Amino acid sequence: MDERSVWEKIADQLRSRSMWMLHYCTGCGAVELPPSMTSRFDMERLGMGPMATPRQADILLITGYLSVKTLRRVIYTYEKMADPKYVIGFGSCTINGGIYFDSYSTINRLDYYLPVDLYIAGCMPRPEAILNAFNTLMEMIRKGEANGWKRYKENYEWYKQNQLRSLGEVIVHDEFHE
Amino acid sequence: MTGLATAGRVAGVLFTAFFFGLTFEGIGRKITARIQKRYGPPWYQNFIDVFKTLTKHGWTHGWIFDFGVLMALGGVIATLSFVPLGNLVAFPGLDNFFVIAYLFTVGALGMAMGMVGTGNPWASIGVARALTLMLGYEVPYLIVITTLLFYYKTGNISSIIEAQAQAGEWNIVKFPIGALVALISLQGMLGKEPFEAPIAPAEIASGPMVELSAKYMGLLMLMNTFMEFIEISLFVDFFLGGGTFFVFLLKYFIVWTFAVMVSAVLPRFRIEQAVAFYWTVPILLAFLQAFFVVNGWVF
Amino acid sequence: MTNSMNNNVAEILEKAKKLFDVRVEDIAERQHKLIAENDKTIPLLAFLKESGYSHLSILTCIDWIEEKRFELVYILFNWSNGVTLLVSTFIDRDKPVFYTVKDMWPTAEYYERDVHEFFGVEFEGNERCRLPLFLELWNDLPPLRKDFDPLKFSKEHFPDREYEKDAIHEAKIIRADLEDTRGDING
Repeated sequence: MDERSVWEKIADQLRSRSMWMLHYCTGCGAVELPPSMTSRFDMERLGMGPMATPRQADILLITGYLSVKTLRRVIYTYEKMADPKYVIGFGSCTINGGIYFDSYSTINRLDYYLPVDLYIAGCMPRPEAILNAFNTLMEMIRKGEANGWKRYKENYEWYKQNQLRSLGEVIVHDEFHE
Repeated sequence: MTGLATAGRVAGVLFTAFFFGLTFEGIGRKITARIQKRYGPPWYQNFIDVFKTLTKHGWTHGWIFDFGVLMALGGVIATLSFVPLGNLVAFPGLDNFFVIAYLFTVGALGMAMGMVGTGNPWASIGVARALTLMLGYEVPYLIVITTLLFYYKTGNISSIIEAQAQAGEWNIVKFPIGALVALISLQGMLGKEPFEAPIAPAEIASGPMVELSAKYMGLLMLMNTFMEFIEISLFVDFFLGGGTFFVFLLKYFIVWTFAVMVSAVLPRFRIEQAVAFYWTVPILLAFLQAFFVVNGWVF
Repeated sequence: MTNSMNNNVAEILEKAKKLFDVRVEDIAERQHKLIAENDKTIPLLAFLKESGYSHLSILTCIDWIEEKRFELVYILFNWSNGVTLLVSTFIDRDKPVFYTVKDMWPTAEYYERDVHEFFGVEFEGNERCRLPLFLELWNDLPPLRKDFDPLKFSKEHFPDREYEKDAIHEAKIIRADLEDTRGDING
């Protein structure tokens, strides 16, 4: 943590004050975001906002359960994002499968496939919990603790192996892309 | 010595556009937030955004993309240094409308080229929409500006500002219909609602900017700020009588706030609706204004 | 109005009984289930489509594992009187083959692919039936069959989080404490 140069520390200050978020709402939980963006909780006062594309985003917010099919797309999306990037797992399903723990098509823990910086527990977490999590993430970025993107690079082999074990193949083959 | 003074003036213009452009954008976000009953980000949020994007590690999409981004930013900076900010003119005597109109396309074309160079279909759709929209707003706008140039018999913007100061009344009073048309066109130039289709974030994933990561995003944000600065400055110079530097900034702020407030409450036109709108109401009003001017009915 | 509509429905059900000897079960006021023989289902569907039940809401399947058969259910809807008809037929579970209705309803192609993917029913005439739709790279039993064990599959493919604490055990201890204190208070 002390390896950061002065420039990195300044950059981390900037990054913590301007976080653009890509919310991948494949499961439930998307409905908790509008209250945290609009006038009740107003995420924009913290410098956060939704972004339309993975290239511009800093945070990948994954809400609710992830099916195998969507996990392939999420891995694509994550690898498209520019460093430094942060992943937030949202809801019980990303932590341990939640009520879908025995499903044939949903994964049980997200940090096995992608480096998660922060989890928000609950089914569903309330907007207060979301804002609290973002505050914690800001704090972590300022201290240089949100290093998921570095971990993903260092342990790339391990993550790839896990992805292949559950998915068979990460590359998407379907009738609409070929 | 004159070379040094010119360099200083250019630096002054660029710094003004950078600092006040980003500040006014931040204030604009705050105004939008207040209209939506939110608290809104701090006024310096856009500075943080730009500098943050510069600290990230992004990707290029080939040399044509790099070149397009640089051409866009460079073209806009070149255009900006010819725009008179009230009485701050970087190149006195050269602040001709035709120079600005000509250089302005360099930036727009650079952006179009770079963004299409990413190969992303959303970017192509966004650029196509932006150029289509340009076809819509440029025609009425150019008719009005040509009318103005015809009336004053000069293409020099400083002369038009001076003429307004001598006459003691602004062009917005003299040419109310033309000013209205220019204001409507300005909304389209700024890419604000209801003419926001080129960058529609929800349907085409922010259009031209879809593949921009990190530094490229930051440079394009700066380019966007400079472009807005040019467009509003031209309106202030042509219709609100320019003025000294600080008066100019005040007028600029009022026009910008008006545009932001309009955009905060309006939905979005589809692209063909926008062009159809521009080619009916504003173009007829522009012709009406031209008719008045040609017949000498200006008071 | 209501009378004539009901008459209309009753008339069609009578005709269906006579022509295709279906068994009719009334589910609700505007819902009727028609259970048809295997080979008479397609003509029955064609007849109902001609009689106004032109909207195929869904084609789905039920696994009756003890009776060793699948039940295919076509849900038809009539937009003019709001009546829903469920046409159901039973096919053999060991050799699940049926005929496609995609020429009558083009959307049925996707419902058939869905049923094929989740139950393994083949639809003759639908050549795109075998293409994957939801499950990519699936190489196990079709997952909605009753003899498929999703928990086992999940344990094999998707690693669980290993908890260091036994949360349930701890909760029992806490609860025992609570009961003790409550006992104290009461006593």
